[in-house]
Amino acid sequence: MFMKSLRSLFALLVIPLVLSMGLGLSASAMAADGQTNQQQVATNDVDLWRAVKAGDSGYTTAKGVETGVLINVVGNEGKDVRNEYLVPVMGITVVGVFAAFLFFYLVNGPSKLSKGFSGKMVLRWSKADLWIHWVLATSCLALIFTGLNIMLGKYILQPYIGEGLWAGLIYGSKTIHDWIGPVFIVSWILCVVKWMPLQTFKMYDLKWFLVVGGYVNFGPFKGKHPDSGFANAGEKMWFWTLTIFGLFIAASGLMLVLPGLDLPREASMAALLIHGISAIIIIAFTIVHVWMATVLSEGGMECMVSGYCDENWAVQHHNLWYDELKDSNGIVYKD
Amino acid sequence: MRLNRKTDQAVTSDKAVLGLNRRQFLKSASLATGGIAAASMLGAGMMRKAEAKDIPHDAPTETKRTICSHCSVGCGVYAGVQNGVWTTQEPAFDHPFNAGGHCAKGAALREHGHGEKRLKYPMKLEGGKWKRLSWDQAIEEVGQQALDIRKESGPDSVFFMGSAKFSNEQAYMYRKFAAMWGTNNVDHSARICHSTTVAGVANTWGYGAQTNSFNDIRNAKAMMFIGSNPCEAHPVAMQHILIGKERGAKIIVVDPRFTRTAAKSDEFVHIRPGTDIPFIYGLLWHIFENGWEDQTFIDQRVYGMERIREEVKKYHPAEVANIVGATEEQMRRVAKLLAETKPGTIVWCMGGTQHHVGNANTRAYCILQLALGNMGVSGGGTNIFRGHDNVQGATDFGLLFDTLPGYYGLKTGSWKHWCNVWDLDYEWVKGRFDQEPRLGQDPMTSTGIPCSRWHDGVLEDKSKIAQKDNIHMAFFWGQSVNTETRGREVREALNKMKTVVVVDPFPTMAGVMHERTDGVYLLPACTQFETYGSVSASNRSLQWRTKVIEPLFESKPDHVIMYKLAKKWGIDKEFFKHIKVNGEEPLIEDITREFNRGMWTIGYTGQSPERLKMHQENWGTFDIQSLEAPGGPAKGETYGLPWPCWGTPEFKHPGTQILYRTGREVMNGGGNFRARYGVEHDGVNILAEGSYSKGSEIKDGYPEFTDKMLKQLGWWDDLTAEEKVAAEGKNWKTDISGGIQRVAIKHGCIPYGNAKARCIVWNFPDDIPLHREPLYTPRRDLVAKYPTYEDRMVARLPTLYKTIQEKDFAKDFPLIITTGRLVEYEGGGEETRSNPWLAELQQEMFIEINPADAADRGIRDGDNVFVHSPEGAKITVKAMVIPRVIPGECFMPYHFAGVFEGKSLAKNYPEGTVPYVIGEAANTVMTYGYDVVTQMQETKASLCQVSKA
Amino acid sequence: MANMKFLCDTKRCIECNGCVTACKNANASAIGWGIQRRRVVTLNDGEPGEASISVACMHCTDAPCMAVCPADCFYRTDEGIVLHNKETCIGCGYCLYACPFGAPQFPKKNAFGSRGKMDKCTFCAGGPAPDFSEEERKLYGANRIAEGKLPLCAELCATKSLLAGDALVISNIFRERSAARGAPEALWGYKPTTG
Repeated sequence: MFMKSLRSLFALLVIPLVLSMGLGLSASAMAADGQTNQQQVATNDVDLWRAVKAGDSGYTTAKGVETGVLINVVGNEGKDVRNEYLVPVMGITVVGVFAAFLFFYLVNGPSKLSKGFSGKMVLRWSKADLWIHWVLATSCLALIFTGLNIMLGKYILQPYIGEGLWAGLIYGSKTIHDWIGPVFIVSWILCVVKWMPLQTFKMYDLKWFLVVGGYVNFGPFKGKHPDSGFANAGEKMWFWTLTIFGLFIAASGLMLVLPGLDLPREASMAALLIHGISAIIIIAFTIVHVWMATVLSEGGMECMVSGYCDENWAVQHHNLWYDELKDSNGIVYKD
Repeated sequence: MRLNRKTDQAVTSDKAVLGLNRRQFLKSASLATGGIAAASMLGAGMMRKAEAKDIPHDAPTETKRTICSHCSVGCGVYAGVQNGVWTTQEPAFDHPFNAGGHCAKGAALREHGHGEKRLKYPMKLEGGKWKRLSWDQAIEEVGQQALDIRKESGPDSVFFMGSAKFSNEQAYMYRKFAAMWGTNNVDHSARICHSTTVAGVANTWGYGAQTNSFNDIRNAKAMMFIGSNPCEAHPVAMQHILIGKERGAKIIVVDPRFTRTAAKSDEFVHIRPGTDIPFIYGLLWHIFENGWEDQTFIDQRVYGMERIREEVKKYHPAEVANIVGATEEQMRRVAKLLAETKPGTIVWCMGGTQHHVGNANTRAYCILQLALGNMGVSGGGTNIFRGHDNVQGATDFGLLFDTLPGYYGLKTGSWKHWCNVWDLDYEWVKGRFDQEPRLGQDPMTSTGIPCSRWHDGVLEDKSKIAQKDNIHMAFFWGQSVNTETRGREVREALNKMKTVVVVDPFPTMAGVMHERTDGVYLLPACTQFETYGSVSASNRSLQWRTKVIEPLFESKPDHVIMYKLAKKWGIDKEFFKHIKVNGEEPLIEDITREFNRGMWTIGYTGQSPERLKMHQENWGTFDIQSLEAPGGPAKGETYGLPWPCWGTPEFKHPGTQILYRTGREVMNGGGNFRARYGVEHDGVNILAEGSYSKGSEIKDGYPEFTDKMLKQLGWWDDLTAEEKVAAEGKNWKTDISGGIQRVAIKHGCIPYGNAKARCIVWNFPDDIPLHREPLYTPRRDLVAKYPTYEDRMVARLPTLYKTIQEKDFAKDFPLIITTGRLVEYEGGGEETRSNPWLAELQQEMFIEINPADAADRGIRDGDNVFVHSPEGAKITVKAMVIPRVIPGECFMPYHFAGVFEGKSLAKNYPEGTVPYVIGEAANTVMTYGYDVVTQMQETKASLCQVSKA
Repeated sequence: MANMKFLCDTKRCIECNGCVTACKNANASAIGWGIQRRRVVTLNDGEPGEASISVACMHCTDAPCMAVCPADCFYRTDEGIVLHNKETCIGCGYCLYACPFGAPQFPKKNAFGSRGKMDKCTFCAGGPAPDFSEEERKLYGANRIAEGKLPLCAELCATKSLLAGDALVISNIFRERSAARGAPEALWGYKPTTG
């Protein structure tokens, strides 16, 4: 739907420029001529012009990708989508999600452990898990910040800083983004492979959603502690979002960062848009995830610092996991 | 916003440049120039001149006026030079030919100032390795080997291949050089370009050149391009052609391919390669049938049209459709258009000339124009586009195996005329030649060995050739051997010769395609931008070039190299008798003046260096529509004084833009057909009847002027006393005072007489054009009716015709192959493929093949394919699958070289000289076939097979 | 103020590639083998209806490259010429994706990462570096506009097919040509604007 309206918008703006290449002339110029000319019978200039606009390819001595195409508007339509939708949405997402959580936090306060800290620490993450998490987290954050600069910096930073500083900043962002990308992809693969068995959805996850995970301190949800396994439903959702959009963002990122692929404009622009959409989603979840871990869920952060969680925290937030461990005598306490 | 050129000079400044003020700078620049000679023994790296990027923008710019050295359109160029480096190229908007326009080659001209891939110093192949030589040593060795061969085998065993890249002065000197050496084995690429035109057209009406001009095409109402593709070969001519079209002219393109020019046409006629004569006769059939011919014109100015009328009856529409492939309807439409839309012009190029019946093709085109009465008028004529920048000049100066400068021929009288001009003793010149008749031919007065067949001169059994011995040594002076057909024989001949000498800015194919380990010399010549002189465009205008830069590396101008060799051979005193030599450089202006004194036949006499330089300085005063100067110092003159520019320079003839134009006085560029073949034939008068140029005091035809004729007319006393002395016993061609010409023109008469053009050329094997199937024809069914000639001796060489046509190759080689040009490259392509700006555009040799033929062979666009020749050779090229060619026909560009039958020759080049792009040479698979009059090679109609590689 | 545009008259264009090499000639200091700021495209090659057209940066009024560039390295001169700052360019390639005419070119074919500094037609107007400076010549090539000259590609066009200059002026030239060709109704198909 909107692509269509974009197209007509584009037509209004760009086609006059294209026309100035002189191809648009002469619709019926020759036909009226009455000459016995097979050439002009076969093809008139209107057809030619139509073909050019449709992105038909011709012969050229220039080497390179799609050099025979005179006009290809797809990339420009993509640019419009990017500039008119993705850029504002990304800005709104960053600010909005952050602000919404801040608001929620101020109203709701942190989710406290109802029985307080027990002082007994239960092993939750191995050292390898911690490494994977933090490498993934760091690379992801680096990509987010550099990516935000690439997407939004032109609007929010560039006008206020000097040219030299901006050039350095944007060049740095692009370079860091390029080189951190592969780190992200590797840690993402490890994360997905290693953690996937823990992330399958169960029936009780549905209930978890019904009470918003039990983090709400007021209204009908107050004091609810829904069932949850090693990962609660929210974490599972985050995991699967990261898995799916991580795949998209990695694949599209590779398309953008490997010039040797010689992709056509359509593919490159599609990659750019997919990259942006995926980024918006991942950024939104990342913000939520960071909020939850750091301030909202009391005792949550500790898990990813030492790998151990408080026994009470385990009981309150991951009761099924705790019960299972307990039944199988699998609990490992910190010395 | 108006954006006009503000000045010819870029911003100049007197302020300090690199810590120098301008005065000091100039001083240091001149020191630097002197230093180049001193540095010449340093390594190539050291010798690299300053690059454009090292020159500060505000260094003073000197703007030089020069002429593009690629094609014969003759586009003007403003070259900006800073610190001796060619840094800018600006459009010459005021130049009357191109108005600033350039094709890819012209727009890349400045790259000549870089010359990355040029041959940097004299070299010699020794033990399979290139070894650097000093100039003196190179000249000593090359010169001595020539002398040794001369002693053993006679002067005819040295072959002088010349070039259409020479300036007029150099071309003239090269022809004289061969004469001084004592041989007629001198030729250049005009042989394989328009030799058939020169022979065919000159024998029809007098001069074998473009009759009108590029600019005059603006005035045509119809244009027929046959075997001509100016979009690729003469792009700037398209400026005038398209303006003509916009003014309402109809364009007809006749070609085997749907060319870029065809895309701009109103009517495209496909003809099978090699069927030009039946096509023209097919048009004439409709013209005669409907009474569309110009009978008054024919009666007054044409001889022998009745014979044509008889012959044409055989070419009725069904027959033409069968031979040519064009339908009756289309033929009638084209004939009607030409008959009703006048004036109309015919343009032809290699597509018409490069056939074994090329001379007859060109005559057929002329006959069509004669029948239509399109000659001698603005907008009409035969606009024959020449190829190289100075192929017209080099042809005019007789850089040919069959004539002395000015088409004087090789008769004793001709030699005596030139000895008179040279102020040399005829007996001395004669003594330089082989004195014995060979196979009944006298070496001095008989035609030599042509450019197209020098390899036969090496390889043929020596008892069968009309000279003492085979060719044992050849100078390839500015010519690419990959433009000659039968590549395998070319290689064999290069292998067999005692010594191969390449004199060229580049190593060229002759330097690398052989399998020798010794006896090859490469002498670096410089380009026309590193010297100066005059150049003749296709329209016969002469243009002066200024030297742009000093010769790059150790290269030298051609005339300097000739001087050095002449000195070694001990003929320099005679060679340069009236030409001043500064150090080792003969003075160009003296050479111009010398040929001014001798070129009476074609009016190369009025174009003194002073007049040409004045035209050069005043490009902008000539009107682009008329080519004439309405005011200014050249008032009333035509740009470049197109020949014939009669009389002496002082006579101030304005040049002749349109040949045979009876509507003007001779003194104003008018004229009529030339009386070149006597006054009657078979008892019939062949002088003009009732037609004469405006203002002529003889109101009828008249023969060419001689001293006797002046006396009979009572005009003898119009000569001055000195003129009388010079004119006594002479004619308009040999009177070197110019008196006879002056007096004839004073009485409104043209010196060469006033005759009819002749449709019957009784001195040729076919006195009227006859269709003969190509030697390699796919139409075996037509061979019996339209057979080729019997094998015969042409010039010094036995030449095959029937022997080849007898064999049926069409079964195994079903595809017709024709060759042609690409806009980005020129000639053999060595120069243009070494120019990165051009080479980047065409990186691979290819063959155009129709999708149907490609599908039959499982070939897809971009595949590697083999092209097989019926003579055995096989090359590997890329397939370009395209409907431009019809099923059954293929096309290849001929500019590529550097790969031979699948093997790269890159390692054979001296270090750093491999062109940016190399590829298979089309002519490796092109086959036997030579014009019966001029030995033009057949490159436009042969057979091949294509298979997937 | 002028509003610079190119216009290629397809009725005159013969695919001689003069504009392509003219560009190389003028801008040799900035562009080497592999970069062609201008190219000629022939449609229906080898068939009736064949037409050629020379294309480079069109210096669009609402330039997609400028809009999409994350580094904001593009700018428009007073003459309406779209230029870019190679110091700021990060080689991301977005302009290449967005440009309908395929004008942006990249010099390097890295396996990974940046494509190098983008290069495109400058309308022979150099770049942000000081006029005629060494830096300008090496990064952007010629600055003919500052010398009071038009782009060399159009000035050297063999058949005067490629026109460059103020949109009004060149559209008038073109209008006159079309009218002279006897097809006044065949003007641009729209009223040429200068905006």
